[in-house]
Amino acid sequence: MSKLATVVRAGLRSNFGLATIKYRILTEKKDRWLVPLFGLAALGVVPRFFGIVLLIQNVYDVLRPMGQERALLSFGILAGQLLILLFGIYYIIAAFYFARDLDLLIPLPLRPGEVMASKFAVVVINEYLTVAALVLPVVITLGVVAHASVGYWVNAVLVYLALPIIPLALVSLAVVVMMRFINVSRKKDALILVGSLVLIGVSLSVQIALGRSGGGHAGIGAGAGGTQAAAESLAAFFTSPNSLLNKVGAFFPPAIWATKAIAGGFSGEGLANLALLLGVSLVLFAGMIVFAEKLFYRGVIGLGETTGRKRRLSRDEMSRRVAGGRRAFAAILGREWKIMNRTPIFLLNGVLVSVLLPAMFVLMATIDTGGGGGSGAGSGQGGDTMALLKMLMASDPLLVMLGAALFMTICGSINGTASSAFSREGAQFWISQVIPVAPREQAAAKFVHSYLVATLGVVTSAIVAGVFLHVKAMQLAAGAGLALVAGVALTAVGMIIDLARPLLDWTNPQKAIKQNLNVLLGLMADAGILTAAFFGVRALIRAKLAPNVVLGIVFVGLAALSAVSYIILLRFADKRYREIS
Amino acid sequence: MIEVTHVSKSYNRGKVKAVDDLSLTVKPGEIFGFLGPNGAGKTTTIKMIVGLLRPDSGRIAVEGFDVAADGLKAKQVTTFVPDSPAVYERLTGLEYLNFIGDVYGVPKAERLERIGKWLEIFELAAVVTNPIQSYSHGMRQKIVLTAALLPAPRVMVLDEPLVGLDPRAAHQIKEMFREHCDAGKTLFFSTHIMEVAEKLCDRIGIIHKGRLVACGTMAELKAVDRTEAGQSLEEIFLELTDE
Repeated sequence: MSKLATVVRAGLRSNFGLATIKYRILTEKKDRWLVPLFGLAALGVVPRFFGIVLLIQNVYDVLRPMGQERALLSFGILAGQLLILLFGIYYIIAAFYFARDLDLLIPLPLRPGEVMASKFAVVVINEYLTVAALVLPVVITLGVVAHASVGYWVNAVLVYLALPIIPLALVSLAVVVMMRFINVSRKKDALILVGSLVLIGVSLSVQIALGRSGGGHAGIGAGAGGTQAAAESLAAFFTSPNSLLNKVGAFFPPAIWATKAIAGGFSGEGLANLALLLGVSLVLFAGMIVFAEKLFYRGVIGLGETTGRKRRLSRDEMSRRVAGGRRAFAAILGREWKIMNRTPIFLLNGVLVSVLLPAMFVLMATIDTGGGGGSGAGSGQGGDTMALLKMLMASDPLLVMLGAALFMTICGSINGTASSAFSREGAQFWISQVIPVAPREQAAAKFVHSYLVATLGVVTSAIVAGVFLHVKAMQLAAGAGLALVAGVALTAVGMIIDLARPLLDWTNPQKAIKQNLNVLLGLMADAGILTAAFFGVRALIRAKLAPNVVLGIVFVGLAALSAVSYIILLRFADKRYREIS
Repeated sequence: MIEVTHVSKSYNRGKVKAVDDLSLTVKPGEIFGFLGPNGAGKTTTIKMIVGLLRPDSGRIAVEGFDVAADGLKAKQVTTFVPDSPAVYERLTGLEYLNFIGDVYGVPKAERLERIGKWLEIFELAAVVTNPIQSYSHGMRQKIVLTAALLPAPRVMVLDEPLVGLDPRAAHQIKEMFREHCDAGKTLFFSTHIMEVAEKLCDRIGIIHKGRLVACGTMAELKAVDRTEAGQSLEEIFLELTDE
């Protein structure tokens, strides 16, 4: 047991290196600028949280007379667990199979189960952070407004600690079995990609199927202004006999056990359900460890090895395959493209997000809006989106163009390709520093690569907008034009952020793109730019300018911002390449 | 030619002095061996020569180009082999060589001839179309060396180039060093293998705690009057770096 504790502690330390953060902020004083930035971001989130808390309180007031207030708790817990199920697939595959420290851990006198437990612990901690925003507001608000007993709070802590175990253990079992068979194949990378997509597809289908059967659900993040209507729709949704919640109760009982454990406190029901939840978590965890003993190493050992066939190229073949006269710019662009597309984690989190996001939008938007639970204002989430878009399209053509541009811009820029452009090089960054190519030229090639990925997102979302939302060709073209210009600025800003603090010492490719703080900072910067653009456009519309004039001003404004960001990126590259060590 | 003039470098805001007022010159046609205990400042010096680190003070020039002011020109005539062969694992060996050929602007005919020659010597010809991910440590070291030789640089800088190589490859590398310098080019490398340095190098520098404590030909190093020193490089090294 002490060995297990040691390896788990080491895993947590190396992944959540508080010592490193402290060193960077207090000793090296490199990341000090992040502290006020996060403070500002936290302040920006406060009003939204206030709205959520208000909504929860309203729903509670509606549900309480019906004795259905527990449903709210189940909803929060269930949403958290489904989120864990979806994101857990990414995290588990990366942590179990692509962490480079596995090469150090496997030769140590540790059992496969102990190694896997250490990796599992890291993912569990990650999930606590991921679901906090979903689960904690519900649990805390409910506890406060209901003047909950000590038992509620004690059980809530225990339930929260146990919350990710069941979904993650289930995902782990599926992934361990999948990898066991993938590892014997020669096409491992392709299979990992396909396997991940299948698991994500299954997880999404389950959620969409549940969404359809339950008739969708009102947006929990609705603004404070619409909280009363939203609360009523939520209440209807919860209390319907055919509700999502009841179906889910049968389909995924842990959410119900967790609810009863928290709501019941120290009563017999509360303790029994707590025991049930903890017991099943323990059994599944133990089952996963037993599976790990049998299958984990058979999936992980040799996964990084690729057996190439030995074959000499003939003189002609060699002559054909040895390039000549290609410019450095093209060589760097080619390198970026190949490395991104051949690294499954990069491909999944970068290029494929650009395609998946519009596709997910289609799936969500086509969810049936008229199911059992929704009544009155209770249109589903997908229904909300569709209604909003239909309203937009029926109104001003200018708004259609701007709305389409916003949709395409988001779909193009939300992937982490730009904001991990330098981090992805990792330990190989020395090559970029010693080759005789000006940093600005290298940055320009990387920019083109990131911009092509963004363009893929713009094109895919344009197809979605054209085919599914029936946006007219002219409006689509204008929207795409704006999105492509905005994409230049967002790509350049993402790259500037990554260049300012590249994460080059990663041991797990997941860290370079998915768990890279720069990607989050990039998204925050994108949100800031788009918010500023929104207020700018609103001011222009309120000034009653002609639509073409508004479009022209927005286009010129974005083009100017793009030009400035791009120039700053190139200059910054010249400065930073020499400084990074 | 490499000229290092009064170069200093410290880490942790000046608390750790890695290189302290170092000056040395490596002339064309010379193999220069750079020795020192672990943490003496060898890798820091090498990284400053190839532009991976910036000196706090002093000047470094390669073939007359100031590395700080004229970095690109200095890089155009220099290639570097690091102590650990971290290369793009997802590219094939040939793709990596093509990449290096492109960024150094090596014409196709020369590229074909040099790639063919070094792949044969390093026995990589049959695996060059496989991903580097599938290569052993030694094979990776060889592909990095092939890439460093591909532009036929005026100056080669190598950090522990013989680590991980089998005896045959190590022998071929040593022959290549000689050929390279016989053509009037410059080679600067660090090593812990005293025998190699003693037999191969025209001149040797010994760095200890960031300072150059000895520099010269083997004969010059032996000629210095020492109380306890023996005649082998190993004995000279041990005495000079004794705490």
